[in-house]
Amino acid sequence: MAGDSPAEIKKALKFYGLIGAILFIGTITTVAVAVVPWMDVGARGFSTGDLILGLLIASVKASLVMYIFMHLNHEKKLIYLFYGMAGFFALCLFFITRMAFEDPIHYSGFGHGEPVIEEKVEKH
Amino acid sequence: MNEKILDEIPYIVTPRKDTGLTNSKIGIWLFLASEVMLFGGLFSGYIFLRVYADYPWPERVLPIVPGLLNTFILILSSVTVVFAWAMLKLRKWNMFLLFMGTTIACAAIFMAFKVVEYKAKFSHQGVRLEDYTILEGHVHKGAVDSQGHIYHLDDNGNPAKHHADENHSKSEKGGAEGKMVYQKTSIDQIVFDTKDISFDLKMFNDGYVNDLLTQAESLRAQITFDKDIKYTTSPDSLPIVVAKAGEPVTLKALKEAKALWKKTIANNGAVRTEELRRQWRVAKHDNPDAPNWQNAQNIKMDMDAIRPNLVASKSVVTAKVEPHVAFLLDPKTTNASAKSAKRKDSTLMSGNLIDSSMELGIDGVDFTFLVQRAEEKGIDPESAIEKSWILKNNPQVRAYWEKHKEYIAELDKKLLDDADGDIIKAEKAHHLERYKMTWKEMVRYGSEGETDLQWFNGFAGPNHKKEEWAKHFPDVSLPREQIAFESKFTPRWNNYYAIYFTITGLHGLHIIGGAIVLGYYMFCPNMFRKNPDWLANRVEVAGLFWHFVDLVWIFLFPILYLM
Repeated sequence: MAGDSPAEIKKALKFYGLIGAILFIGTITTVAVAVVPWMDVGARGFSTGDLILGLLIASVKASLVMYIFMHLNHEKKLIYLFYGMAGFFALCLFFITRMAFEDPIHYSGFGHGEPVIEEKVEKH
Repeated sequence: MNEKILDEIPYIVTPRKDTGLTNSKIGIWLFLASEVMLFGGLFSGYIFLRVYADYPWPERVLPIVPGLLNTFILILSSVTVVFAWAMLKLRKWNMFLLFMGTTIACAAIFMAFKVVEYKAKFSHQGVRLEDYTILEGHVHKGAVDSQGHIYHLDDNGNPAKHHADENHSKSEKGGAEGKMVYQKTSIDQIVFDTKDISFDLKMFNDGYVNDLLTQAESLRAQITFDKDIKYTTSPDSLPIVVAKAGEPVTLKALKEAKALWKKTIANNGAVRTEELRRQWRVAKHDNPDAPNWQNAQNIKMDMDAIRPNLVASKSVVTAKVEPHVAFLLDPKTTNASAKSAKRKDSTLMSGNLIDSSMELGIDGVDFTFLVQRAEEKGIDPESAIEKSWILKNNPQVRAYWEKHKEYIAELDKKLLDDADGDIIKAEKAHHLERYKMTWKEMVRYGSEGETDLQWFNGFAGPNHKKEEWAKHFPDVSLPREQIAFESKFTPRWNNYYAIYFTITGLHGLHIIGGAIVLGYYMFCPNMFRKNPDWLANRVEVAGLFWHFVDLVWIFLFPILYLM
């Protein structure tokens, strides 16, 4: 919090209300982009454009919640360090999926037989 | 009391000098950091499952309205919780109660919507046919008599209309309503006319056995042992008789037989082990310098020597069903062929498989998986759809599909017109709308366009109790051999629902936990009087958790409901 005096808190309340309203509008925009044809971006139906825009709006909303409601904008560096480390490790988790490509075991497809283990064949 | 605790717990109101933070705040942020990684792992799992899915990933299959309302509710609760905290700072207890109470109410409404949403999924049936057509709908309720004839239920819930055999006589129909013995059920059962049953003592499951015994009783039949059930547990002991031929099968008798059978196994195992040990001693004595692996090769079981000490050890117990009746078996736990049915606990039933079709009220036809498989094989998708079982066998679905093709053709034309006829710039109908008929489209086609439902219609999905909509859902009788896979829309249906229930279920538990903690503070007026800053700090810390829960939902809603 910026300050704990009654005047400052009362002022902050209006700001919180405003942020709440922005979050509402952001939500409506997200849905509108998905369901209203003339607001659809990219190719018809769900596309990469929708994905990027949807996640962008969600990220803006999440940032507002973090910075304003969770008071991250007034927090000490230590909190940023915690959060940064958590974000870093979470990101690492996302890249674990990439390791699936390096896995020597590949499934040939749903209902299409048993797992196939690739064998290295040395060329002579 | 509170002041005493304050003396014991340092830095929960005033910040530490070195960190500049209260301990409780550091604690909650560390906890939230772990939560980021927890949900990060689940989101990572979601991406993995979606990117590597080898079937059409379900897109926008969840009803948007409850998800949207829940998003509004969580945002509102985030605002009210921060207002509640501010009211404590302003020393307004009643206003704090008002805002905190609103937050708790929001949590309750959120969970109520979740329950409605989950319930709709748990009652909605999905079926994948052998040709990869996916049908959605609701399984009809009905009744099956002791001969395996299927009846629909009338308005009073009594079996009325004979379904399985159209040539059934009227007198028999009347019998179903009055004298006949029947079982009410969802018409999605394997109906098996059973004469003999073999129970596997190694595997039999109490629930499955009880199910058979209960069904037999309700059908006025009896399952009886067809041979004496007796075991000799050691060569020196006398045989113990568990039950004689003709006595009714009971769970207790099977358990006793299992216990005795285990003793016979133990006896025979001990005899074999002793023989092996004896042989090993002999081998070591004869070749003391040979390595163990070499001696091991020379050991052979002398069956003639041990045979007198072995006892009969039969793990299968056979029984008869008199008179033979039709049992209802869950397709998920039974593998049936024309003459036999085997349950998951290895109970083997012999007799005759009767018409075991599933009666489904269809509210969705999805050809996207069929199209994917056709394209993989180099087959034209449109012709693959035309050859699909459902279009060949259900005229109403065929009629709807013809209308759907017209709708898609109009849509393609409109998109081409929008691009001023430039075929390169023109978009085409999305593959999901091209190859999939939703329940809303079925209602539109069935009502000849008079009922045009929008995205906000149908709170939690198709409502089969709403006659206005349900009358347009085609009924189909699906032969068992056409069903490749069936499930409610639970985690079993596909990976999408598995990850959906995992993440939203975990998120729901967070909502409940957070609401309990925040609600607890409403019962702390003494703390407010004695140390309001301490209470405000506690609310702030719990509020941080609450905002985090909101933050997770901000990502969950678009990812699960809109993408």
